[in-house]
Amino acid sequence: MRELTDLWVGIQAWLFETIVSPVLFHFGLMAWYEPGYSAVEFLMLGVVQIAIIAFGMRFFERRWPLEKSGPDDRLIRVDQVYTVLNKLGIVPLAIFIVTYPLVQHIELLVRAWGYAPPRLERILPWLGDNALASFLVYFVLYDFAAYWLHRAQHGFAWWWSLHSLHHSQRRMTVWTDDRNHVVDDLLINLALVLFSQFVGVQPGEYVLILMIGRLVESWSHANVDMSFGWLGERLLVGPRFHRLHHALSTPEERHIQDHNFAPVFPIWDILFGTAIYDGKHRPTGVDDATVDADNGRGWITQQVTVFGRLLRALVPGFRRSSMQPGLRPPAE
Amino acid sequence: MNKLSFAALALSLVMAGGAAQADSVLILNSEEASYSILSRSTRTEIARLPVGREPHHLIVTPDGKEVLIGSTATNELLGLDIKTGERKRVVKDIIDPYHLGFSPDGKWLVTAAYRLDHVDIFHADGFRLAGRIFIDGLPSHLAFDADSKTVFVTLQQSGRLAAFDLETQSLKWNMPVGNTPAGVVMLPDDKRLLVALTGEDGFVVVDPKDGALKGRVQTGKGAHNFWPKGDGKHYFISNRVEGTVSLIDTSGDMRVVGSVRIPGGPDCMDITPDGKELWVTQRFLRRVAVVDIEQLKVVANIPVGKSPHGVFMLKGTALQADGPVRAASTASDRK
Repeated sequence: MRELTDLWVGIQAWLFETIVSPVLFHFGLMAWYEPGYSAVEFLMLGVVQIAIIAFGMRFFERRWPLEKSGPDDRLIRVDQVYTVLNKLGIVPLAIFIVTYPLVQHIELLVRAWGYAPPRLERILPWLGDNALASFLVYFVLYDFAAYWLHRAQHGFAWWWSLHSLHHSQRRMTVWTDDRNHVVDDLLINLALVLFSQFVGVQPGEYVLILMIGRLVESWSHANVDMSFGWLGERLLVGPRFHRLHHALSTPEERHIQDHNFAPVFPIWDILFGTAIYDGKHRPTGVDDATVDADNGRGWITQQVTVFGRLLRALVPGFRRSSMQPGLRPPAE
Repeated sequence: MNKLSFAALALSLVMAGGAAQADSVLILNSEEASYSILSRSTRTEIARLPVGREPHHLIVTPDGKEVLIGSTATNELLGLDIKTGERKRVVKDIIDPYHLGFSPDGKWLVTAAYRLDHVDIFHADGFRLAGRIFIDGLPSHLAFDADSKTVFVTLQQSGRLAAFDLETQSLKWNMPVGNTPAGVVMLPDDKRLLVALTGEDGFVVVDPKDGALKGRVQTGKGAHNFWPKGDGKHYFISNRVEGTVSLIDTSGDMRVVGSVRIPGGPDCMDITPDGKELWVTQRFLRRVAVVDIEQLKVVANIPVGKSPHGVFMLKGTALQADGPVRAASTASDRK
């Protein structure tokens, strides 16, 4: 393990000291010295995640595909672009630049009032001596917040106008998880970063939670009919569980997408009555022609048209048929 | 080895007696919310224990009995027994204690709230807040004058050095010194302040009376922090971007007399009680380098936690009750 850590840190330090550090120094940006080093790690983790998706998860999709290859395969390419842009930090960097001052301002304001993150180790001292237990507890807390944010994405019409991009994919694969509008990503990131800071998630834990969580979510979008068994699929979200959340709604199941929201731990759906385990295969996508038109568009066109959708949702004068009631299931 | 194993090891050492702690070194793993206890003799990590959140610097109390770790994001100080490393207390409501130091007379505790842009001056007795001074520019490191009248604070973002009157908690002067000033140290003559410029390649000499620049010395890119060699003349300075630690002679013409390559963003330093070794945290490599001072050569490299920052030699029984008042990585070490 030590050798692996040394190798990882060695690569990170080499990349930073050879490329990033001289640039920061040259342009007088030494206040960003430490964040710059963390950014290199984020980039490296992105490369690892892409490798796991491309060589690990894709193996299962190729070997045991749920939906066979067909003309819709071309729709997957844009999701691959999303994954690369996200995992290599290009979109996250843009989000960071926008959100950092705001997050900083909020955190500083709250802390200046005397509030300090309530580390759980104070309440449960044994957590401090057990790194794994501590990590799991914070992971569960983080996932709890992510569950409710996901419900909000479906519950507010304006937020759905953004999140519908994610659901518009008819060919769900391991690449689909990253298919999100940048404003949607921005809002979710902002909320989760603030939540994590206020409950006391450590920076190191946050990176690990983010990486493992996103890998589980990539796998849960896989084009396979797999689960972790009766007990397993109640402990960890798998493809069969999450595919139901992406199911195309029908007159018989108009609210089908208002189920199985949990990103990583299905316990939230079980506790709050939104879990369905029926093992049925359903086609995926949205029953809204305007939103379905996202399929076949490239990254830039999707970003522009979906932003237009947001404006129409926010400003009544911009409304068009895509947001008419009845074309998608109303939020519960 | 997981934290539980480390904790068990530490406990067994405590139960075995205090001998092991006398040669221990504390390292603050700033991104892991833990501190490592290393053995000087075996040069291994013997324990890794949790501490608040984002610990960066630490300091010895004026009575020499405790070392206080500043846990920045939880607004508190964790007090450890200076001989055994045993946890003694938590001092709450110390807002963002990034860097901290006691005045030489032991009367004042000053903290630089790096992220919250203020400097707090406490009565050391009881940690009662005497004054909070808000100042823009990321207050970073601090140093005192010999008669405990003034504290000097570097402002990393604004490129300035500010002087505050301790008794009145008011600003005396605020002067530009260079790009990204960090470590600051007062020389024993009490007439020269050295300020490391992390955005440049060396340090400047500043007049403590008015903040006027009196000289400039090139050491290496990313000059960051000082530590006294202990002879009253020589100081070490870490150069984070260059990946070196330079030895400077402050007597007569200020000059560099030696250098040692230490990759991985070298940062804080401390010297073993026998004066033979310099221990340097390597932030990016998650290691601590041990330098033979005589040869200026790295002789060991010890793995620790993520982003190791502050380093401190536990003094064991060798420490005198009226021993030196010191803030790790600041000018207050008056060896």
